[in-house]
Amino acid sequence: MIFREVEDRDLIAKARRGHVDAYNVLVSRWEKRVFNYLLRLVGHREDALDLSQDVFLKAYQNLRKLEDPAKFPGWLFRIAHNEAYSLLRKNRPEGELAVEPKSGEATSRMFPIELSLAVQSALGLLSDDQREAVLLKVYQGFKFEEMAEILACPVSTVKSRLYTALDLLKQTLAPVNMGGAE
Amino acid sequence: MTCSSVDLKAYFLGDIAPAEKGGVEDHVRACQGCREELDRLRVTQTALLSLEEEEIPQRIAFVSDKVFEPRWWQTIWRSGPAMGFASAAMLAAAILAHAYVRPVAGPVQATVDTAQIEQRVEREVNARLEATVAKAVRESEAKQSQQFAQVMVASEKRFEAKRQDDLAVAQQAARYFEQQRARLEMAANDSVRPGQ
Repeated sequence: MIFREVEDRDLIAKARRGHVDAYNVLVSRWEKRVFNYLLRLVGHREDALDLSQDVFLKAYQNLRKLEDPAKFPGWLFRIAHNEAYSLLRKNRPEGELAVEPKSGEATSRMFPIELSLAVQSALGLLSDDQREAVLLKVYQGFKFEEMAEILACPVSTVKSRLYTALDLLKQTLAPVNMGGAE
Repeated sequence: MTCSSVDLKAYFLGDIAPAEKGGVEDHVRACQGCREELDRLRVTQTALLSLEEEEIPQRIAFVSDKVFEPRWWQTIWRSGPAMGFASAAMLAAAILAHAYVRPVAGPVQATVDTAQIEQRVEREVNARLEATVAKAVRESEAKQSQQFAQVMVASEKRFEAKRQDDLAVAQQAARYFEQQRARLEMAANDSVRPGQ
């Protein structure tokens, strides 16, 4: 990870001097993570791809504003968060739920091969804020302080969203795991 | 430490302060409910991580575009070594310029009275100008006096030579008239003695 960070820092420095090839290498390292983060946040593959392209374009245009290259991951996901929420606000009127809760969906007995579908469904039951907190913590491995910077909110708010989401997921996914283990 | 005071989820997620970690572990060892809660969290995390990442359907890449490329001065500005060299060059130029234009002597005053300096400079210039003019006048007068003396000496010489010449001519003329008078006297004497 240390080598990765050092190399990222070198690529960022080169990209700042106008080396597009260096930036393309940097993109190739992060595009999959950013795409999956956006995909699980907005729920549409094409939208996630479009947003990913916008994210990396904005990142390139604003790369010189990044004061500390070591904070590139959080800074990049901050851009991704803003892009995703712009789309969510545009596509979804305020107050409307992202996904209609489907009570009992995950309580039914499921095969292990269908676990990923159950997880997707369970994530869909969360609010956007809760789901994003899970994505950043569980899937992307950010610290609470980094998440607070990405989401532009206090650490206490980050914890509140994440802990509530984990409690909901725990309840929703427990029957699946139990069923799969039987 | 009670269950409500323990940040069990932060501990589970590995994002807890090192100082709190020992206390949480002590509590979990003693609390059956928290151990079961940790098990449920592990099961949930395992389920979440079963969701594999998808490959991006289309790779993202950028081509070089002049619009986004930095300008030459931006490249220099962002280049550490180049900026360092430029700074050193500017510092050297400033030192050289200061060495050439700094005042000859005198302590540096904290405050500068420009009007006073202008008056001093004007007085100094006027004094030097007057001295220079006076010296030039003296030199010119001395030169003129010397030339006048030389002219006078030359005139006197020419006058003396002229006088000597005139004197010689007068003496010659006197001798001529004396000779003529002598011849006339002899002729007169010859005419007086007819009988002879």
